[in-house]
Amino acid sequence: MSSLDWIVLSLTLIFVVSYGIYRSRETHTMDSFLLAGQSLPWYHVTLSLMATQASAITFLSAPGQAYTDGMRFVQFYFGLPLAMVVLCVTFVPKFGQLKIFTAYEFLESRFDLRTRGLTSFLFLLQRGLSTGLSIYAPSLILSAILGWDITWTNIISGGVVMLYTIAGGSRAVSHTHLQQMAIITIGMVVAGIMVVKYLPNDVSFTDALHVAGKMGKINLIDFTFDLNSRYNVWSGLIGGFFLQLSYFGTDQSQVGRFLTGSSQGQSKLGLAMNGLLKIPMQFLILLVGVLVFAFYQFTNPPLFFNKTAVDKVRKTQYAAQYEALEKKHELIQKDKHPHIMALTEALKKEDQTAIQQSRVVLAGFETKVKEVRKEAENLLSEANGGDTNDVNYIFLRFVIDYLPAGMVGLLIAVILLASMGSVAAAYNSLASCTIVDIYKRMIRKDDDSKDYVAASRWATFFWGIFCIAIAQYASRLGSMIEAVNILGSLFYGVILGIFLVAFYFKNIGSRAVFYGSILGEVFVIISYLFNLTAFLWLNLIGCLLVIIFAWIIEYTWPQPASRKPSL
Amino acid sequence: MKENSPLNRDGLPPFVKTWKQMYIILTGTLFLLIALFYLFMNHFQ
Repeated sequence: MSSLDWIVLSLTLIFVVSYGIYRSRETHTMDSFLLAGQSLPWYHVTLSLMATQASAITFLSAPGQAYTDGMRFVQFYFGLPLAMVVLCVTFVPKFGQLKIFTAYEFLESRFDLRTRGLTSFLFLLQRGLSTGLSIYAPSLILSAILGWDITWTNIISGGVVMLYTIAGGSRAVSHTHLQQMAIITIGMVVAGIMVVKYLPNDVSFTDALHVAGKMGKINLIDFTFDLNSRYNVWSGLIGGFFLQLSYFGTDQSQVGRFLTGSSQGQSKLGLAMNGLLKIPMQFLILLVGVLVFAFYQFTNPPLFFNKTAVDKVRKTQYAAQYEALEKKHELIQKDKHPHIMALTEALKKEDQTAIQQSRVVLAGFETKVKEVRKEAENLLSEANGGDTNDVNYIFLRFVIDYLPAGMVGLLIAVILLASMGSVAAAYNSLASCTIVDIYKRMIRKDDDSKDYVAASRWATFFWGIFCIAIAQYASRLGSMIEAVNILGSLFYGVILGIFLVAFYFKNIGSRAVFYGSILGEVFVIISYLFNLTAFLWLNLIGCLLVIIFAWIIEYTWPQPASRKPSL
Repeated sequence: MKENSPLNRDGLPPFVKTWKQMYIILTGTLFLLIALFYLFMNHFQ
């Protein structure tokens, strides 16, 4: 990186962190530390929800995914607007009525302390581990790209954010989300414009889209109903609906965001606008990836996008083999080039026969490229060991290789800010549950508000250190990453099931829902272990199983009248 | 959070009269986006 990049990166980070600390001066009560005094307007709520959901990996991985797999990933978000409607109709009024700090407080009012404790504990475990991975994933990529030690990138991603989260709690988190989303949007829009600018002079934006489209990258919609297909309209609408509903409605990192609204109306509008904006935003991020793909049709792409892994293999006995593969790849690209130009020409003349011919020829070249890349991956795996997936490196490699000085710093800042946004919300939610659901409820019930604020700051500090430690540990346990990510989707459906029983099945009591959720969880884990379905469907299965089991238990083993009244 | 009665318009944008209308707009936008994506895909693919 050039000096200008370092200046841009440093100033951006200093600005956001200082602003967060500046906003923390108004934080003296538990309400202001954990819920920003419930004083924020809808646009704060919207941007905070979006910044929490969009982690660094969203901006690193999504363009890379569009490059390799096309834009079909956008279908994953189709259930989100529908989930926002259910949240506005059911969750917001119920949570608002009870004036709660955490989603799990509601479960005690409806069921009992045992159910509240169980779900809060599951949340702390799952969110603590996944936040560690949210820190680790971009740290790994940034350390590879920048050549920094991973400990430093972990400390920057997870530690800097602690400064303002400890000082200002939810208020600082929400206010910095606003700045973060503004910088992220500017960075991604400028990156998209720059890709188009770097296309050859006679290739326009629409030509690039036509080329990418003819090569199968604009595969936005798939109406095929297939339980084993990861992304199609139905898995997005149905499976995605349950995933987003459980994420936004039962995960405290998101519940804590919309509870900061100054009224129920502001919280609802914040959620509704999130439903309107999220899909177009994801579409634009994927479009940047497709444009990068189109760019590399006219310019030779690297054989493998993770430069550190390539540099490493060059120092081993496999160096000559890798070089041979690079030459083979270069030759394929050279042979492919006239056909890409022929396709562009045919598109301009609207010559359908020539377009069709070029498509067939280019599909053949794509297969050859994939084969060589596979060979390279196998070689890298043999030489270096570990993960050989370079999808997350594609966009950043393009940024570093082609964007001008200043822009690289800005894009690295975008990645770090995205990471900070989701990590800050996670720290705050972990502190909320630790203090409200455990410390205040079970250990020290009658402390002063100031004591709880001090305890919340210590809890934030503890979880920050815990998550950075997980990130450090994860670097030695590559296979654990996938396991812990899947762990999240294994629990979301069941937790949602508990909440839906609480809202809609007023005859079902605490004992039935407690044992129903345990049985449901066992079945979800079995479905996963026997690979019965794609992971998105596990959210629906888990949710339905809890409802069915709880209903059966309630009617075959009725609970005595001590059941709490339903809300 | 302040309570929200059915007559309370707090949070609603000026062009929307009720929350029901807001939800219809949200759902309608989703299906409009799916249709637009389908057309976009067919045009470029």
